[in-house]
Amino acid sequence: MVLIVNTTSDKELSKEFREILEERNTEYEMIEAAEMNISPCLGCNFCWLKTPGTCAIKDDYEDILVRAHKADQLWVITNTALGFMDHKGKNIFDRVMPLVTMNLEFRGNQMRHVMRYDKNPDIGLIYLGEVDRDYLNKWNERCAVNFGSKPLGAYPFWELKEAAACM
Amino acid sequence: MHVIIFNGSPRVQKFSNTDKIISSFAEGFCERGNTYELYSISNRREWGDARRAFNENKNILIALPLFVECVPGLMMEFLETLVPKTESTQISYILQGGFAEGSQLRCGEEYLEKLTHELGCKYGGTLVKGNNFMLRFMDEMQVEKETDGYREMGKIFDRDCNFFSEECRRFTGPEIYSLPVRIMLDILFKTAFKNTAISLSKKLGCTKPLDYKTLETDEQWSEDVTVQQRAV
Repeated sequence: MVLIVNTTSDKELSKEFREILEERNTEYEMIEAAEMNISPCLGCNFCWLKTPGTCAIKDDYEDILVRAHKADQLWVITNTALGFMDHKGKNIFDRVMPLVTMNLEFRGNQMRHVMRYDKNPDIGLIYLGEVDRDYLNKWNERCAVNFGSKPLGAYPFWELKEAAACM
Repeated sequence: MHVIIFNGSPRVQKFSNTDKIISSFAEGFCERGNTYELYSISNRREWGDARRAFNENKNILIALPLFVECVPGLMMEFLETLVPKTESTQISYILQGGFAEGSQLRCGEEYLEKLTHELGCKYGGTLVKGNNFMLRFMDEMQVEKETDGYREMGKIFDRDCNFFSEECRRFTGPEIYSLPVRIMLDILFKTAFKNTAISLSKKLGCTKPLDYKTLETDEQWSEDVTVQQRAV
């Protein structure tokens, strides 16, 4: 199953994306998160040390985390700001920390946190606005390694069909 | 020299590793009479004053922890409220993180240079260093010892007004650990480090193993309860 979290208010984009995915018979869930109550990660580390696997913040992200855990792929549709994804998009990734444990290991030649679960969703981005796509792809690659999964790439909104082809 | 310092950590100041680093850095920086103002992004009530300070000053230092390879979401939210400048203001950064290798912070460092230009400012470099995760759990003496290097970097910033020197580059430490060090650390991760983490978690009142599979276990628990209820 593919989980798509739309953090923008662009419902037309979601509608267009749904049509493409249904045409391709892709099994997906889409969450419209722009108006949801999703706090930023506060870095308390409770999800590692006090209540392992459970975020201390009780808000609308809880449902996203449960679905992300079950999904094969997690795609975030995000606005951009200051040359990167905006805070709403970034919050979705910062809050994924309960899927990670405090324990460390070497994956390749770099330290990484040991993942909490055996299966972790591959990660992709769809963005609105003008940014350095190469940088977003680089970020996506590193982010996916952190989460023990594969990067699916960063796609501008006019490449929805190309993104859907990876799903 | 007067510098505006933003603590970009979303963690409350009392437990902020970045705050401890800033304190040590500022000691060195102020030794010869420099001054600074500190604004904590974790406190939204300070955002108005922080924006005003950004607008009115030409020397800005942003200290931040790396969150998922880049700027924390809360700091991003604050930055989005700033109006890019047209006059010559310099922004320098202290980027810190938990992982010890310098290479872990380079993706974030690359963005900080882009960010500076997006804000219409001049880039004053980034002081990069990891291995700071444990600071919040240390006592005052240990923190002073662990952050002593930042005090020296404060003096360098007083001298150069940027982080481009060889001393700053060396301060990062190894980019990647050598294979023998990785093998040794891997053993420590499975033994001493794990035990330290368990001990910290117990102090915080944790009653579950650190690798507890909450979503799978709780789902199973929920299903079991449903089956029992049906049986009744």
